[in-house]
Amino acid sequence: MVLNEEQQLLSDTISNFLDEHAPTEALRALRDTPNGPAWSDELWQQLCEMGVPSAAQPEAEGGLGFGWMGLGAVLEQMGRRLTVSPLLSSVVFAGSVIRNCGSDAQRERWLARIMDGTLIATVAFQERKHFHSRPLLREAEDGSLSGEKKLVMAASKAELLLVTALRKNGDLGIAALSQNEAGITITEELLFDGNRYATVNLQNVHVSEEQWLVGDNTNEGFTTALNHATLALCAEMMGGARELLDRTVVYLAEREQFGVKIGSFQALQHRCAQAYCQLELAESAVLAALSDADRNLLVTSDQVSRAKAMAGDVYEHISNEAVQLHGGMGVTDEMDIGLFLKRSRVCNQLFGDAHWHRERFATLRGF
Amino acid sequence: MTNDQDFREEVRAWLNANCPESQRRPIVREEQIWAGKHSVFPSQDARQWFEAMRDRGWTAPEWPTEYGGGGLNPGQARILQQEMARLNCRPPLYDMGLWMLGPALLAYGNEEQKATHIPPIVRGEVRWAQGYSEPSAGSDLASLKTRADDAGDHFLVNGTKIWTTRADVADWIFCLVRTDQKAPKQQGISFLLIDMESEGISTAPIKLISGESEFCQTFFDNVRVPKANLVGELNGGWAVAKELLKHERKLMGTMESITEKVDVGLVELARSYLPVDDNDRLVDTELRARISQHLMNDEAMALLNERMFYQHKAGKADPRLPMLVKHLGTSELQRKDELILRILGTDGLSWESTQTDQSVHRMVRNWAYDKAHTIAGGTSEIQLNIIAKRGLGLPD
Repeated sequence: MVLNEEQQLLSDTISNFLDEHAPTEALRALRDTPNGPAWSDELWQQLCEMGVPSAAQPEAEGGLGFGWMGLGAVLEQMGRRLTVSPLLSSVVFAGSVIRNCGSDAQRERWLARIMDGTLIATVAFQERKHFHSRPLLREAEDGSLSGEKKLVMAASKAELLLVTALRKNGDLGIAALSQNEAGITITEELLFDGNRYATVNLQNVHVSEEQWLVGDNTNEGFTTALNHATLALCAEMMGGARELLDRTVVYLAEREQFGVKIGSFQALQHRCAQAYCQLELAESAVLAALSDADRNLLVTSDQVSRAKAMAGDVYEHISNEAVQLHGGMGVTDEMDIGLFLKRSRVCNQLFGDAHWHRERFATLRGF
Repeated sequence: MTNDQDFREEVRAWLNANCPESQRRPIVREEQIWAGKHSVFPSQDARQWFEAMRDRGWTAPEWPTEYGGGGLNPGQARILQQEMARLNCRPPLYDMGLWMLGPALLAYGNEEQKATHIPPIVRGEVRWAQGYSEPSAGSDLASLKTRADDAGDHFLVNGTKIWTTRADVADWIFCLVRTDQKAPKQQGISFLLIDMESEGISTAPIKLISGESEFCQTFFDNVRVPKANLVGELNGGWAVAKELLKHERKLMGTMESITEKVDVGLVELARSYLPVDDNDRLVDTELRARISQHLMNDEAMALLNERMFYQHKAGKADPRLPMLVKHLGTSELQRKDELILRILGTDGLSWESTQTDQSVHRMVRNWAYDKAHTIAGGTSEIQLNIIAKRGLGLPD
């Protein structure tokens, strides 16, 4: 649960790099460019040259061998600056789907290119307005897919779309489709966190048998991949929450009213202290899951739900506190606080909100 | 690493051989073994378990062997703790000397004091009480007025202490006393060890909302205390007090593991009191969510402790994290108590009844008793002050 020397070095390196190349202004630039790109290709290129996409992968598989703890540290640094990249959507999520649900041949075909960042892939899974893990979309008798997937990350730049659907027999299936496939329409939308997500519409898209991922257990594999993506998102969320509290404490220690620093007021001190307690509690749950992933090469669903529910609650709470404690400045677009506030709400909905995860946790624990 | 594994196996085998079956159940308050000459063993098994642990020095696993302690390093102590938890072994001994005075004495006591007082603590022969708070010195502890005047070869102590846990049966008490009336308040305080059999000491129990009287008020009327019983420097007691408070707060953050465990788990309790659906899930979804949230927080508390352990081991201890434990642990315990009360329904309102199960009464009394946890040992508000100022660096 503690970064080793190498992981710490990675974290510091990324931190310095992002300060220079991707501070929050980078997000503003993306947000404020009409119909602009979802992320900066140049930044992604640089991150790839540093080996970031393969940070977690064992050295034996050609990765950097920093493990989940190392990847978590990178994502935490990205969360502190609201860095936009396909690291989570393509490398962690889509990569894990292919690793856990694909055949050897399918892994062979895509995984290496996903892990070095040259192939962008994404997973299209959610159909309703509220998170659900099991698809409603069903393969038609003629083997085609028709329906709509929401909140798809990185879709406009993804060569490979991994679409969840129920097969004819009712089992979970994942279709690996090219975005140029006939019948696929991708409509990009700017959400309030400044990121671009897409609705993927499928109209009689014919899926041949070899386009379906054919691993040993798609159901279990997809749950694992979803857990991986959720855990990675938790690391990003902790970075955002920590950055907000840090900035708020700095502001309170500088801002003067009534002739004193407002940070000397007990009412405000206690709000910061409470937030900090919740932050470290949630961070412990996230770090435990990351280090367990390294130790046992497995994250359990209850661990991930524990981490996501706690990270979700704390990010939401701290972002509200940060706005309030920054006073009038907190509601201006000029301050970054609002960017984090908005990002926290998007993160909360992605992969299930705190309530959804408390529900799953209860079910997994048998009550 | 292999050494750790060997040690774990040895501990496991030893506990299996030495911890009687009856001592592998959650502890209930009546069966706790408190140190001292009033010590009572609820059963032969309890005595046997205590003696086995005492003889290995495992009542105080990390204390030096020269004073009778176990001499384990932190990693080994943790293994012992984990293995005891695995078997559900009861804590073999309860004493404030063990939890608080011992660590402070090891840090600040002189050789003679350590040799005199530490071994009896390890062996459970002396029960210690804590003399910190006074009727007019609670959160503002340093304003305490109990005075110790220099009377040549001894101090003469006068004043009163409050919330002295079971002072009525304690053998000794460690006290903060004022030894300089003129110095700024923190700088005129000394740390004294006082024999409760000394002439001029009297105690009066205080009845609490839980119906129990664990706490006393203790009065000192011209009590003679040998100068050899001064721990640390004269007027340097505040440093000793703070060292001791660190241990107290750490302990209170994990109170549930050493005091009483509710016999039934929250989940089982809820299922036995409230409707469940065909899949054995609670029908009350709001309660489900709250139990989930409590379990998550509770587990995260344990993970926070684990994280502190690993940080310490890696030489990267974050000094802010230990400040959080008391507030987080005690408030979560109270949330659990409130959930229990809600689950129990009208049973949870029962105070005395032959129809209501003993264990229910115990849960209800715990609910009332545990209100003290966010007050004793530094209120939650004081903890938050410390976190804000010393942890986050907010200005005075």
